[in-house]
Amino acid sequence: MTRKQRRLTMIGGSLAVLAIAAALVLNAMRDSIVFFSTPTMAAEKQIPAGKRFRLGGLVQPGSLVKGDNLAVNFSIADGSATLPVAYKGLLPDLFREGQGVVAEGALDASGVFKADTVLAKHDETYMPKDVADALKKQGHWKDDYGAKPGAAASAAPAQGAAK
Amino acid sequence: MTLWFVFALMTVAAIFAVLWPLSRSASASAGGSEAAVYKDQLAEIERDAAAGLIGIPESAAARVEIGRRLLAADSQPELPARSNLVLRRASAVVALVGLPVAAVMFYLALGSPWLGDFPLASRARTADVNQPLENMVAQVVAHLEKNPADARGWTVLAPVLARLGRYEDAVGAYRNVITYAGDSAERRADLGEALALVAGGVVTAEAKAEFERAVAQDADEPRANYFLGLAAEQDGRQADAAAIWRILLAKAPADAPWRPLVQDALTRVGGSAAPPLSTEAMAVAKDMSDPDRKAMISGMVDRLATRLKQNGDDVEGWLRLMRAYMVMGQRDKAASALTDARQAVAADADRLRQLNEGAKSLGLDG
Amino acid sequence: MIAEAGHYALVLALALALIQSTVPLLGARWGDHALMNVARSTALAQLLFAAVSFGLLTLLHVVSDFSVVNVFENSHSMKPLLYKITGVWGNHEGSMLLWVSILALFGGLVAAFGNNLPLSLRAHVLAVQGWIAAAFYLFILMTSNPFLRIASPPIEGRDLNPVLQDIGLAVHPPMLYLGYVGFSISFSFAVAALIEGRIDAAWARWVRPWTLVAWIFLTLGIAMGSYWAYYELGWGGWWFWDPVENASLMPWLAGTALLHSAVVMEKRNALKVWTILLSILTFSLSLLGTFLVRSGVLTSVHAFATDPTRGVFILLILCLFIGGSLSLYAWRASALKQGGLFAPISREGALVLNNLFLTTACTTVFIGTLYPLALEVLTGDKISVGAPFFNLTFGPLFVPLMVAMPFGPLLAWKRGDLAGASQRLMAAGIAALIAIAVLWAWIRGGATFAPLAIGLGIFVVAGALTDLVERTALFRAPLTTAFARARGLPRATWGTALAHAGIGVALIGIVCETTWNSEYIGSMKQNETATVAGYQLRLDGVTQRQGPNFREMIAQFTVTLDGETLRVMTPSKRNFTTRGSSTTEAALLTRGASQIYISLGDANADGAIAVRIYHKPLVLLIWWGPVLMAFGGMLSLSDRRLRVGAPKPAKPARALQPAE
Repeated sequence: MTRKQRRLTMIGGSLAVLAIAAALVLNAMRDSIVFFSTPTMAAEKQIPAGKRFRLGGLVQPGSLVKGDNLAVNFSIADGSATLPVAYKGLLPDLFREGQGVVAEGALDASGVFKADTVLAKHDETYMPKDVADALKKQGHWKDDYGAKPGAAASAAPAQGAAK
Repeated sequence: MTLWFVFALMTVAAIFAVLWPLSRSASASAGGSEAAVYKDQLAEIERDAAAGLIGIPESAAARVEIGRRLLAADSQPELPARSNLVLRRASAVVALVGLPVAAVMFYLALGSPWLGDFPLASRARTADVNQPLENMVAQVVAHLEKNPADARGWTVLAPVLARLGRYEDAVGAYRNVITYAGDSAERRADLGEALALVAGGVVTAEAKAEFERAVAQDADEPRANYFLGLAAEQDGRQADAAAIWRILLAKAPADAPWRPLVQDALTRVGGSAAPPLSTEAMAVAKDMSDPDRKAMISGMVDRLATRLKQNGDDVEGWLRLMRAYMVMGQRDKAASALTDARQAVAADADRLRQLNEGAKSLGLDG
Repeated sequence: MIAEAGHYALVLALALALIQSTVPLLGARWGDHALMNVARSTALAQLLFAAVSFGLLTLLHVVSDFSVVNVFENSHSMKPLLYKITGVWGNHEGSMLLWVSILALFGGLVAAFGNNLPLSLRAHVLAVQGWIAAAFYLFILMTSNPFLRIASPPIEGRDLNPVLQDIGLAVHPPMLYLGYVGFSISFSFAVAALIEGRIDAAWARWVRPWTLVAWIFLTLGIAMGSYWAYYELGWGGWWFWDPVENASLMPWLAGTALLHSAVVMEKRNALKVWTILLSILTFSLSLLGTFLVRSGVLTSVHAFATDPTRGVFILLILCLFIGGSLSLYAWRASALKQGGLFAPISREGALVLNNLFLTTACTTVFIGTLYPLALEVLTGDKISVGAPFFNLTFGPLFVPLMVAMPFGPLLAWKRGDLAGASQRLMAAGIAALIAIAVLWAWIRGGATFAPLAIGLGIFVVAGALTDLVERTALFRAPLTTAFARARGLPRATWGTALAHAGIGVALIGIVCETTWNSEYIGSMKQNETATVAGYQLRLDGVTQRQGPNFREMIAQFTVTLDGETLRVMTPSKRNFTTRGSSTTEAALLTRGASQIYISLGDANADGAIAVRIYHKPLVLLIWWGPVLMAFGGMLSLSDRRLRVGAPKPAKPARALQPAE
């Protein structure tokens, strides 16, 4: 083989691998991408039952009901809409009412979001970014939600003072 | 002083690092070259061949290959060592002058050289005060587990838990206070606040319900009112929040320590509050002896009064003056200042309204 | 005083980095040896000051000086000493200081051991290191200064995020950083070569060992991070395709490719231009990883630093270095001399194939990680690209790579014999086929994919060993001869075989864990028994304990298999009062390479407790594989030939080696 032929073989091989990779990526993009949505967006978009997506928002205070055998029901709210969620399994350590959460799953026929994964925010001051952005967009974001120290500082003097 | 000595030592070390190579003559090590690498490789082949690791023909072939590369490398011209005295001097000047000046200026802009160390060891005393608190809490908790109906125990424990940041435990304790020591507006407000703290400062529906119960028992309960305002703010009802807080301020005693908090909250939602005496002046006044302070305040007040007589348009000024009189306990002077002020701004409906509202919040209405 | 001295040392390090990044370049331009030598002493001094700065910050954490904001926010006086120390890099500011300290360390190593480098090359390399260091010192001092003070120090600190209070944190980030930052050396060498317009033998001899060092640390760092996530997050998962994990995987893939192309360059003087490009890309991906983690730009369970000003600053650094080096590459690469020739079927050809698949796989990870970000910026849609995407793209690309892997070391340089190599791999192929057949018969009707994948893993392991067997003439010559030959083999050969076998071992672990993982999730009361994969787990009871800075609920399980008591397991759940948060401490029982995993949920009102129990067959292989790879890397690094710098003389010696 001449130098040119060798080079052509190499380039041809590379292109073939790249083409396969591109095909794989496009195929995977079609099937395995999960969209993020808040309860309001879910209601607007009319997401069909069975379509997987991620639902983010705040856990509606007072909505958490623990059933038998680790079944859990709660609602995710974003200020203007709420969506009931059913989940079976252990909740993450940081799961609390009134705090940010992201659940992944799909709606069932009766409009309940069947979650198979629940992610809570990672530490005390960090809100899932999707949730924070979505809430901000809808005008329900208070800096107080995220910054606990700030909120505590504004509340604590009131306690001391009124005594 | 030691600190600056240490800084100086470090700076000298840094300067030395730059100057040292500059001071050395140019003939110093020229570093490895391409040829050196190939010579190393040839030497290694000799060693390998001697140790029997590679055969004679292979070692010969390898020598040829390396020799070929060595020749190619040697044909490249080696740069002669030159010295550029101008550049060297410039670098030396940069190191001697530029480096320390830039470093110290940069540091002074960011650092806090006047602050000493505060390691835990030197704070041991405070830590000791802290330590038994946790133990005491544990003891009280143990005691209450045996005697859950001890109302006094719960009353003592609950605020301590809240202070320690154990808000969830505090919620339970406050609930027990209400159960065993009886319901009251203040206790409901305590519970509501603890609930809000559990939610990270958000007044949840549950917390709001407690504050509403508190207000139902005592409409003037300041904390419950404050948090109801906060709840309104968090729900996006700014106007409601402002209204709640304005009423709260109006009813509040002039010396209530939480006034600034509510005033700040009010400014946050855009409502105007009666302006307090400038905090700066207050701070100065705090450090003075009693007679001095009185003299200073009355001097300030007099100056303000004179200024306002000449130029009566300044509603804020009038309010500040009235507030000062109130603080000094001269209610009659405050009332007469209000009358003066009303005359001065009577022509302007907006200002008049602002004045009246401010006066109302000072409790000077009518 | 401690804090201020540390602060000032950091400022001095910045000043020295600035001098290091300019004066040597001028010296190289004018051919002045003294000016070029400034690079060396400033690099060493810069290392000294960075180390002083880092050491003093550690001291501040140890003595709990809460007048320092960083200590106050991330420490607590009652935290155990170990976590006071690891807490130094458990936060944004401290970890960035560790990052530059390691950068200074590598710069210092080049300065200290670079005697045999041509002077101008050393000056250029250290100057480029100086640019990177200066940019990051500025970043730290301007946006993430760990030495800022509080005038009236608080009594108690805010504590470190409890999830991060773990021994895994003590080793994982430093390892990862040693890897990330280690690639800065090959980057600096690449940029220096582009500036100088030539690549010489000394260049080639230096890049491979340094890349290897970085690669070993990165491999261990990733494996350790994965194991940490496995036991600390309480989910039993070991890889989430989380953007932060991808951020460390991308430089690893590119670095692995670089390692292999550097071999070609070192031994055969070919693929020079490509190696330069890979060096630039690998470090660029390391910088990108730092950016992704540090800016909080992606939604991620790891993101504990969220501050847009920092993000913008790192983005600027990123654009400057990646954009700058790639432009330089586009401009100067054509000036570099092209290397030697080789046939497509040859050792070089195999390594090119390896590079092709690794970089393509890296690209798919890159797309999967950054596509959601780009989409959000462009359309505002939020998507998450999860495991399915990567399984569908990354997986298929790795399969041909692994099939081809055993062939590479069996091919000769320049012109290889594919048929001969296949013949020698016959035994490995047969072993794989037998394994597939046995597994198929055994599980019958289960996952059809798993036996094939395990067969592939066995093929890779057996193929790697084939090379050793061939060279030592095991089974053909008497055992003593084989042993003597094994001792005589270059350690690099052992290294290659072990590293390749490591990939196969990890694959077997991954397939077994994902296919035959069994789990039990439910609530258990005292004396109830759960059965998982034949093991009986009885809940003996739940106790409470007070730890140094947490309260702990401990459950006690007795594990029995076929009536025989194996051990008592005590998973627990810790509540940290200061932060009001809790962590799950999983309990692990290791049986061979398999593990039983218990993590606790919340206790119910009726005394029952929620538990997750997993049986994970051969799960430990997932981490033994990378450890084996890193060990292979170390063997290869310790090879005398690398250190004295004589690359294996080209074709002649190599071609004769199998007949040794």
